[in-house]
Amino acid sequence: MSEKIVEHELTWHTSYWPLIGSVGVLFLAPLAFAFYFVYKMPMMSIISLGIGAPLTIISIAGWVKEGIEDEHGYSEGHSVWAMPIFIVAEATLFVGFFAAYWALRLTAPVWPPAGTPHEMPFAIPLIMTAILLSSSVTIHMAEKHLEEETGNKGGFLKWLIITIILGAAFLSLSAYEWSELMHEGFNIKTNIYSSVFFPLTGFHGSHVLVGIAMFVCILIPALAGKISEPFVKSASIYWHFVDIVWLFVVSQVYFW
Amino acid sequence: MSVASQALTAQSKFSLKEWIFTTDHKRVAILYLIGSFAAFFVAGIMAMLMRTELATVGPTITSNPTNYNVWLYFHGAAMILGYQIPSLTGFFANYYVPLMIGAKDVAFPRLNALSVWLYWMGIVLALLTFVIPDPPDIMWTGYPPYSIITPGNTAFYTFTVLLIGFSSIAGGVNFLTTIIRMRAPGITWNKLNIFIWCTMAAFVMQVIFVPILGTAVTLLSFDKYLGTHFFDANAGGTPLIYENLFWFYSHPAVYVILLPGVGLIYEIVATFARNRVFNYKGVVYGGIWGTVLLSGVVWGHHIYVSAIPSWLALIITFTTLLISIPVGLLVIGIVGTLYKGSIEFKTPMLYAVGFMFLFLIGGLTGIPNAMSAIYIHIHGTQWITGHFHYVMAVSVTTAIIGGTYYVWPKMTGKMYNETLGKLGFWLFFIGVNITFSLTMWLGYKGWPRRYYDYSQFPQFQGTQQIITAGSYIIFLGALVTLITWIHSLIWGEKAPQNPWGSKSLEWTHAPTPPPPGNYPEPLKLSEDWHPYGYGK
Repeated sequence: MSEKIVEHELTWHTSYWPLIGSVGVLFLAPLAFAFYFVYKMPMMSIISLGIGAPLTIISIAGWVKEGIEDEHGYSEGHSVWAMPIFIVAEATLFVGFFAAYWALRLTAPVWPPAGTPHEMPFAIPLIMTAILLSSSVTIHMAEKHLEEETGNKGGFLKWLIITIILGAAFLSLSAYEWSELMHEGFNIKTNIYSSVFFPLTGFHGSHVLVGIAMFVCILIPALAGKISEPFVKSASIYWHFVDIVWLFVVSQVYFW
Repeated sequence: MSVASQALTAQSKFSLKEWIFTTDHKRVAILYLIGSFAAFFVAGIMAMLMRTELATVGPTITSNPTNYNVWLYFHGAAMILGYQIPSLTGFFANYYVPLMIGAKDVAFPRLNALSVWLYWMGIVLALLTFVIPDPPDIMWTGYPPYSIITPGNTAFYTFTVLLIGFSSIAGGVNFLTTIIRMRAPGITWNKLNIFIWCTMAAFVMQVIFVPILGTAVTLLSFDKYLGTHFFDANAGGTPLIYENLFWFYSHPAVYVILLPGVGLIYEIVATFARNRVFNYKGVVYGGIWGTVLLSGVVWGHHIYVSAIPSWLALIITFTTLLISIPVGLLVIGIVGTLYKGSIEFKTPMLYAVGFMFLFLIGGLTGIPNAMSAIYIHIHGTQWITGHFHYVMAVSVTTAIIGGTYYVWPKMTGKMYNETLGKLGFWLFFIGVNITFSLTMWLGYKGWPRRYYDYSQFPQFQGTQQIITAGSYIIFLGALVTLITWIHSLIWGEKAPQNPWGSKSLEWTHAPTPPPPGNYPEPLKLSEDWHPYGYGK
């Protein structure tokens, strides 16, 4: 036993995915964006996306597979400690955003600025709030099932899938609302309110998307019977955080 | 075959795959080292171009001011984001943290590899500056409205910051978890190396403040390319939001750079003075964490002239002056450690003493800048350039180079040539003092920053030429250092396990160079072990 460990430690550990994923990100975001918006070369932008997106997705998939199999015994439950630290960073990201918004709003001579529709959506954000809050409950249910002594996998999968569906419903409603508003002529360029509204809701939406992606990365191996409990716990902490941020978003940009 | 000799065979075969796909903290560290010194070198060339341009009145090597702006952009962005932060929180943190706390690796080795490669992508993006049409020309600060109306490629600036920023946040999450969770039994909080405390503090600041910069630069590109109005005064926005967000990160960034640098100096000084760290708890809880505590409330001193209310300027003046107290504790700790030590002037120690001299000048010339009433008169002059080069650029660079010399035998398994090492130090030290003391003097005379031509002030041409000569001496010093390292890699003698006679864990317990997994067997340290346990 001990000899085996020593031998094992004497090889340099490697993983393909950090480098491949980084190259993917380089093509996916900076290069595609710059080709399209700076150099007005949409074709090059599409090519860049075509290189970047598969590389990124492959490396996420490979990363998750490697992590679940955990050949080197890395997983010692550290991620439950790491996620709150990451959330601090995420939180200050939103703080920066809100600070910009408050500075704009509190110094504006009139609010809402000209160009804003008379009736901002009312029902949809309330429904969205209800959906997101209940999805926090459902992911908690999923976790509960996993923690049961026998490890109720069926119950876990059921609640996890419901959470993913709720997240997707949230995003669809958000997309619907965006398109309605743009239809009324309220788009990102309209005024300072729209300048805040679209980036902030979009920014939060992108976090919902990341949360859903995490759940999918849990779901697929879980269907094959492989579950990493610390990973589930961290993803769930992240999801609760996204939920809390939404309460700030909804109270600040819709109902104030 | 013994464990150690097996380890050496594992290391002696070079395999590209084991380097570029590595997840080992020591190799990730070396990838950071290569990237950051490459950035240092290219950014240094930019500085040489600027200094050469300023050697004569009127156009010298370029007649296009935009070229000068692009050099200035690259010099600042690459020195701070590409060289100093990654070499300290990337290279040194990676190399030392797991070794000093007796761990086999960091908490998330693959995330660590992702950090280094995202950082490299940031470097690639920054280097593309030299081949793309309309490169960024917006300094490292990227102030609107210029950054929004310029034809230059602001998007690359945004994404360079975002890539390197994400890399920093991932590093922060990783290292804070590592330090909290992976200390070997017996390494309690009050027995951590000062460098570990400094790294923790730096990463706490990175995690809290980097995202704010991320928001700022993202909004910049939103304004420029998507048509939002955050910084557009015509539509009710204001550029001041950017300035506040930017400096809310970028002042703490100075401490992110300074603290690990100071941590390295502590390691070097304790080792070469054979002395316990003086006032350990005062240094840690007062000096290091006091700096962190104040770091978030001093940003306003960068924007004294950008219409911040005078009551706020007054508060910021006080908080900025207050920073002298924790920083004073840090300096007193170093001096106290030297006191009655048995000091040995090897190359790393020369750099450590050089650091103290340069940092003292930089720190003292910062005090007038903190006071808003005085600052208004020196704003935008070369005085400021001289000041921050002393306090941050060159003083921390001495810490980085000295720290690299210090870790060199452990990392490479080779000794270096002391004479060459010392020659490199003296050239560098003399060069920076010529360059930046005269830069401050010119600024005091009223010479403005960022000018590529000075036909209005022809009387300063002589001084400018001395400054340019000084900068060539700095460059020469850096080259000699590079040659020393290459010489050592090829011809260096084999290093013993603990050439400095340090009491710190990485020297006393780890093989040289450390194998995968660092320590042949899990460590357990006794009650009376201490990383600075000299004189017992």
